[in-house]
Amino acid sequence: MFINPEVPLESLPSADNLDWHALHPSFVRRLQLGALIRVLVIGAIGTVAYLLMQGGDSEAMGRFADWLLSYALIAFGVFAASILIWPVIAVPRRGYVVREKDILYKTGVLWRSVKAVPFNRVQHTKIDSGLLDRRFGLANLSVFPAGAGGHKIRGLGTDTAERLRVYVSERIEAEAIEPADDERSPPPDPRTEAGAAPDNGPVTDAG
Amino acid sequence: MNPSEPGAWQRTSPFAILFFIGRTIKSFTRSLIQLVATFGALAVLIERNPQVALAIPAGIVAIIAAGVLQYWFFRFRIEEDRIHIHQGVVRKTALDLPFDRVQGINVERSLIDRILGLVTVSMDTAGSATAEGQLPSVTSELADDLRGRIRAHRPVKTADRIADDERAGEAAGEAEEGRGRERSPGQVILRLTGGDIARIGFSNRNLVVAAAVLGLFGQSIDFAEERLRPILESAGEAFAGAGALIQVLVVIGFVLVGLGLVLFGALLRYHGFTLWREGTAYRTRAGLLTQREVVVETRKIQQLTLSHNLVLRLFRRHRLRALPAALLPNQGSADTPGLQIAEVLEVPLLQGPEAEDLRKSVFGREGDALTLLPRSAGFKRVSPHYIRALTLRISFTLALVAVPFLTGLLRDRGPGEVVLGVFIFWLASILPAALVGWVRWRRQGYLHDGDGLASRSGFLGRKVDAFLFRKAQSVTVVQSPLQRRKGLATLNVQLACGPLSVPYIDLGVASRLRDYMLYRVESSQRRWH
Repeated sequence: MFINPEVPLESLPSADNLDWHALHPSFVRRLQLGALIRVLVIGAIGTVAYLLMQGGDSEAMGRFADWLLSYALIAFGVFAASILIWPVIAVPRRGYVVREKDILYKTGVLWRSVKAVPFNRVQHTKIDSGLLDRRFGLANLSVFPAGAGGHKIRGLGTDTAERLRVYVSERIEAEAIEPADDERSPPPDPRTEAGAAPDNGPVTDAG
Repeated sequence: MNPSEPGAWQRTSPFAILFFIGRTIKSFTRSLIQLVATFGALAVLIERNPQVALAIPAGIVAIIAAGVLQYWFFRFRIEEDRIHIHQGVVRKTALDLPFDRVQGINVERSLIDRILGLVTVSMDTAGSATAEGQLPSVTSELADDLRGRIRAHRPVKTADRIADDERAGEAAGEAEEGRGRERSPGQVILRLTGGDIARIGFSNRNLVVAAAVLGLFGQSIDFAEERLRPILESAGEAFAGAGALIQVLVVIGFVLVGLGLVLFGALLRYHGFTLWREGTAYRTRAGLLTQREVVVETRKIQQLTLSHNLVLRLFRRHRLRALPAALLPNQGSADTPGLQIAEVLEVPLLQGPEAEDLRKSVFGREGDALTLLPRSAGFKRVSPHYIRALTLRISFTLALVAVPFLTGLLRDRGPGEVVLGVFIFWLASILPAALVGWVRWRRQGYLHDGDGLASRSGFLGRKVDAFLFRKAQSVTVVQSPLQRRKGLATLNVQLACGPLSVPYIDLGVASRLRDYMLYRVESSQRRWH
């Protein structure tokens, strides 16, 4: 028999107040090491450029290099400090939650976002890890739905990433073949499919 | 090329050589600009060393030979459930395309094709490159046969119930058809007249831009006047004060030429535009010389967008676009990274009620309370704090763009004065930025029911994007620092055809919409594509 009980909106699972999983503790150090390498490379390029400008025949160019040096040093100092400190601020604010039907990822310090990707929309998953990631035993998990709205969860432990990937793949398959218990009967009518009556809008709007 | 003979390898008609020659030339020159640049460079070379000119016939012969060879090595075989395409002279490719992977089948007829009764078929696939799924210059019977076979091989999932679901969906669609104007498959929904084509031409965005350019570069009028004056003066010396008259004539001439160009452009592209419903698909055909045909299955449509610019608003007409999934990553296999951009079904001109009929027919019985009409009273405003955010964003962008100019202008002054100059410029830009922000806030709005959401935006024109919740791919709630203070948030929905955003709504509303949308997606057993 086709049963289609109405779903009270208050009972819908909320994506607020979740128990967020933190990223791997080494991830901050991995990002800092990456930042340090970048700082060193940019510093080396800057030094070479300064020496070339100084060593040239043009006297005006030499004066310009000296004038530029102070500004460049200040800018470089600010840049270096910020990208070295940034991971300490940003990483604790990232986190992920895997639920039965979707995977959520939160990120952002100033602009904070929480993104949810339902498993029955995921096309495929990917794990990758760069040289630095492997040095710290880390891996990144990407989850791709159709279009461009996927997750790239960086800084997971290698084991965690693999376990998550396996779980996500299993969930994708389960969602694709088996209808959930409450959806066992075919939903011929799109209106009743959600179990929502027309006046049963999800939101009582204040805006 | 007998369509009723499956299993045999066949070649397309020899006229496909033209197609391959075109493809070869295209592979060298990605754009018209490159082509012009190449010819320019050649001209310079020939001027310096006339012997270079000998290379031109050699090049032409080589390109024709490449076309002939590509034609010779291009073979295809149609089987019951798939098509094999083998092609390539040096780098051979063998495409094995099961019909159930084909998203849509589009047909294009060039002028030569039309004279000879041939068509070029391209199959939209999820995952393989466009060029591989193309059959150039085949008979239209073969195209119809292919279309029939592809329709017979709808994607079948492992569970039978999905097929049931499909039938149920189609039944719903057919019930809808019974209500609407389109009673039988293949019924014409819309046909554009000559007047409509003219309206499309007048509403061309380039015309507005051209008018602005004309106004800015008034000098070109003087230039033209200098050239025209002797002609006109010799024609009739009776005009003593010919100067003003010539100027007026030149302006009128410019306007007429511009109008002629855009009208001709519209005629070229949209002549004989017809939209009809064919079973579960929508099909458009248009074009004066090259006739293009786009077929999009109803269930592949992810989003409907109705828009109008200033000119279309005057005409009380709209433009509708039905967006299918744009990027479908190939499931499972990483070796074919190609992503397919599916054809967008576009109705270049239609009236509000026609757009609403189409929406009802595309969405079926879902999303009854949605609307595509921007003037609908159902749209709710977003928070007025959006004006503040826009003002800041626009004025900062303006100030940033102005920095190089101001630095150049005040190069004799110290850095302090440059900073002050930028600051004053930023202050001065706040008022116009606020005005723009206010207008955009007035245009911004959203509307939802239990099945879907419509988001309105715009500045001079207006645009409404509508989609069904169950088509969402991911949902994001974002909060900027300002939004956090005011308890607001921006809701971003990623669809398979692109992103859609509802800015500056109450955080609670955004969260509940997200939770409900996730619920609809996760509990839906209907196919989203």
